[in-house]
Amino acid sequence: MLTLVPWLLERPGASLTEAAEVFDVDEDTIREDLGHLDFCGLPGLGGGALFEVTLVEDRVVLTMADELRRPLRPTAEEALRLVVSVDAVAAALGDELPALRSAIDRVRAALGIPERSADVLEPEGVAALPLLRRAVREGRRVVLEYQGRGDERPISRQVDPWVLHVVDGTWYLQGHDHGAQERRVFRLDRIATAREAHVARQVPPPAELPPPRYVPGEEDLEVVLALTARGRWVEEAVTADRVELHDDGSVTVELRTDAPAWVARLVLMAAGEARVLSPDSLAETVVALARGGAR
Amino acid sequence: MAEKVERLVNLTIALLEAPGALSLAELRRRTGYYTDGSPAATRRRFERDKDELRHLGVPIETVSLPHSDEVGYRIARRSYELPDVDLTAEEVAALALAVRLTGAAGTPLALAKLAARAPDPAHLEVGADTRVELPEGPLDAVATAVLERRVLVFTYRRADGGTGRRTADPYGVVQRRAAWYLVGRDHDRDALRAFRLDRMVGEPQATEPPGAFDPPSELDLAAAVSGPAQPGVEVTLAVAEAARWQVEMRGGRDTGRRHHDGRAVLTLDELHPVRDRAWILGLAGAVEVLAPSALRDQVAAGFRAVLDAHGVSS
Repeated sequence: MLTLVPWLLERPGASLTEAAEVFDVDEDTIREDLGHLDFCGLPGLGGGALFEVTLVEDRVVLTMADELRRPLRPTAEEALRLVVSVDAVAAALGDELPALRSAIDRVRAALGIPERSADVLEPEGVAALPLLRRAVREGRRVVLEYQGRGDERPISRQVDPWVLHVVDGTWYLQGHDHGAQERRVFRLDRIATAREAHVARQVPPPAELPPPRYVPGEEDLEVVLALTARGRWVEEAVTADRVELHDDGSVTVELRTDAPAWVARLVLMAAGEARVLSPDSLAETVVALARGGAR
Repeated sequence: MAEKVERLVNLTIALLEAPGALSLAELRRRTGYYTDGSPAATRRRFERDKDELRHLGVPIETVSLPHSDEVGYRIARRSYELPDVDLTAEEVAALALAVRLTGAAGTPLALAKLAARAPDPAHLEVGADTRVELPEGPLDAVATAVLERRVLVFTYRRADGGTGRRTADPYGVVQRRAAWYLVGRDHDRDALRAFRLDRMVGEPQATEPPGAFDPPSELDLAAAVSGPAQPGVEVTLAVAEAARWQVEMRGGRDTGRRHHDGRAVLTLDELHPVRDRAWILGLAGAVEVLAPSALRDQVAAGFRAVLDAHGVSS
């Protein structure tokens, strides 16, 4: 409300629809707030008067509300969230949107949040990004040499690209994979090479595209790992179903995966701080690879 | 009793417009609220409203009144009001797009506050074909401490699993890969440290007073979370064809030579022997360290540790 008032003062005749959109609420909420405003203002004190709200069809005019002519400062939490969100987008878009760079500088200055108190590091550079960005924008098919998590080597894929995502600082591409005949998610740092196919995209993006989160499937392998306290970074690298913390700081992690080979490599990377409790087949894979390397 | 929204707005106006701090008695007179019932009950109602306004970000200060035992309340206009942000129509549109692309909760309202007196957004030619999701993190818990420069006390779980109490000057927050970090001066170690927010145990406590420290003006948050730049070593690897792209992406160059088993021999200029050992372990079976011998031994020791952990002798 303390923001709605200055917003309306600045825009005589604004519509309920516009207000609802800006404040991310429905029109009824705005209508209700306006009802309250008729009783706001403090008449008889310092020359004040009740606010006057005039609603003609869905257009609003607010007058006599000069006490609240300026918006309330965002709270520390809101300010920081806004700056880092916008900063993350700027880091992801690079030079695509120059107005965003200058806007951030102004917002940072107004809120008193310089770059040395809040920053989002650019997602790790990926060679294929400019080509993929162009292909998504122009709706053109690409050919990717892609190493899936479970694959031994990169495999060639024909992809109609839909959208690029940055999730937690990692780039993903979503699109239609012509080999698999369905939607697929590709991590950009697993793309060995990318080139344009010089044909237009055939499968358009669906209206709703969920973010590329791993959703365990029915046929996925159930894995149980024991991690020492030092090996807990492995837990942060997987999507765990259950984590049991023990007194000595070690944990037991249950997870499901469609790519056991990838989990095996995580266990190897932990250099003894991670152990496969089950299934035996995964433990055997890990042991065989470690034997080869220990020689 | 008037509806809460009205009470909160009018209480704010009364405090904003008053020439000085107001006692509760004076507020009762000016607003007509908090008068029905016993003094204790009406004071409780007032306290609830005051707390709710503070929670919304309205900076109500409590001060002692001259010639009186009562406390007074006031809102300083300069702390309440947002200074004008001179945004162009393109900038408002770019910010709106950015907020939409992240979909972070709470940011539309913050943007509405900033843009309340700015021009309406211009039409943008940029499509929404890139989306951004930030890692979840207890950012709110440290926001006030960072922005108000308050010393922060918290319980922290170290990478090796041990926990301890830490006291730090929170200079800033930074997101790197999937994690949020707080960068600040650790009081006990008197040194700059980066703390992962998801390793803080319980709620961090921001202490009084605000403005307790000045962050160094040349602080580089990115460098603080990336760790000190340690000199890398030149590493020579035998690389199976399937894994070749992974080594090349890391900067590997083909020497033109072949290992005796036919695998290509690649060199990497700047491999960090400790940090990058895990990367080499993860490429087991496809990559073998040929030089330096110290790294070769460390990698072999890593594999032996994996075998030990699985109760198998090497």
